[in-house]
Amino acid sequence: MSRIIFLLKEAMVSLRRNILIVAGAVLAVFISLTLALGALVVNEILRLNTIAWQEGVHVIVFLNDEGENGVPLGAHDALLADVRTWEEVQYAFPFDKAQAWEEYKELFAGQPELLDIDPTILPASIRIELKDIDLHQSARFKLEQRTLEVRQVATAAESIEQLQNLSNVLNVLGLGMAVVLGIAAVVLIANTIRLAIYARRDEVSIMKLVGASNWFIRVPFLLEGMIEGLIGASLAVFAVWLGASNLATAGEAFALFRLDVSQEFFFRWGAFFLIFGAAAGVIGSMLGLSKYLRDADGTGQDVPTGF
Amino acid sequence: MIRLDNVTKVYEGATVAANDVSLDIQKGEFVFLVGASGSGKSTLIRLMLRDEPVTRGKIWVAGKDITTLPRWKIPFLRRSVGTVFQDYKLLPNKTVKENVAFALEVLGRPRSVIGPQVDQVLELVDLSDKAERYPRQLSGGEQQRVSVARSFVNRPPIMLCDEPTGNLDPKTSVEIMKLLDRINRTGTTIVMATHDHAIVDAMKRRVVALEGGKVIRDDESGGYEAAPPE
Repeated sequence: MSRIIFLLKEAMVSLRRNILIVAGAVLAVFISLTLALGALVVNEILRLNTIAWQEGVHVIVFLNDEGENGVPLGAHDALLADVRTWEEVQYAFPFDKAQAWEEYKELFAGQPELLDIDPTILPASIRIELKDIDLHQSARFKLEQRTLEVRQVATAAESIEQLQNLSNVLNVLGLGMAVVLGIAAVVLIANTIRLAIYARRDEVSIMKLVGASNWFIRVPFLLEGMIEGLIGASLAVFAVWLGASNLATAGEAFALFRLDVSQEFFFRWGAFFLIFGAAAGVIGSMLGLSKYLRDADGTGQDVPTGF
Repeated sequence: MIRLDNVTKVYEGATVAANDVSLDIQKGEFVFLVGASGSGKSTLIRLMLRDEPVTRGKIWVAGKDITTLPRWKIPFLRRSVGTVFQDYKLLPNKTVKENVAFALEVLGRPRSVIGPQVDQVLELVDLSDKAERYPRQLSGGEQQRVSVARSFVNRPPIMLCDEPTGNLDPKTSVEIMKLLDRINRTGTTIVMATHDHAIVDAMKRRVVALEGGKVIRDDESGGYEAAPPE
């Protein structure tokens, strides 16, 4: 127990004495992990929005009025029944003129001048949810063949598809960035520990001289690296959480786009990043130490040279 | 206690620092290694500490062949060998007490043991009143006494001293030698490299003279210079 306290004390003393070097390492971990976690948050926001949009209507088919321009009565129901049999379609439902007028009023509630129209000019429509967003082109093609009943086909599918592609690109970029920045954090900690060892090389040689094992010398440096990694990771998680919280508050103004990320996401990834930060600190320290301790064994660095 | 069998150490560039050296040092002996700079005194000390590998030959310390000692066992060897160097090798950010205690911390001794043992050895070197000072607040002689205290605090059977009086004035050197003599009388084997004539002549202990890495004289109770032929 006294040995553990001694080693912890040694690590804390070293952290205090090399405060500038330590600040550099903490900052490096903080920046690396903030960028990596930030990329994950952006990715999560896109994923959530893609899901939200996908769960809504993908295609709206505006219809010509029945009984006009050769469109027979019952043509809308016949088209709806037909559409429901298509393999691309998950769900389709009718949206008549009265519903269209209600929707119109809701959409333009703040602009009374736009409400002064004849409600009968609004077309009835069929709203379609596709089984897979990728099938939107096939569904559109089939609908456009039905020129008699169909006035216009509107779809949000292209936008959703673009968002999905962006999300995929961000996934790869985010992962790549997290890996590269993670490695950078490890290397930076390794360099910091190497600097710390260099600054304390006389001390280390004295430790070896009085019979300290490599592990006894290593542990304070490993603790030092772990603490640096943990502080950097904690700051990164806090900064990204704070940024995301502010973004979510700002996002409340946009009804169409969700900017909030769940707390569960932060617990999960926050814990992962804290563990990663600590592990990066330990691995960095081990890398920084290994060469020095190997070199310092039996090569004459412990005592003055010359004979 | 220490045995060197035909030990040779050749550094890079073919510098021969020890040349076929054979020595047998008994338990409780006080042995001076003397010779001019470059004669190989420090190299022998470092070889006995396994700070350098030998090129040829064998070295036994406390019955163990240290030339074949695996790297991970070197710390155990060093825990049984106290060392004192010319430049004291104290930790500047630790107090006198902490410096001495450090050698016991390394061994994992409990605090209940460390405290009394450190107090005892500080009393031996007459530094009890300066226990809370830092090395920079001490004179050279006092710093060397701290170094001696640190090397002796865990009662090693062997002490290796490399020019321990090299940075000290004659009066202070005598104090250090008295201290080492006291330690030697407790049964600790001491091997000391020096080129201080006065000390060697005054102590009248075993003298091993080196020149160009070779042992040129081994006197049971000699002086720094070889006695003139009768």
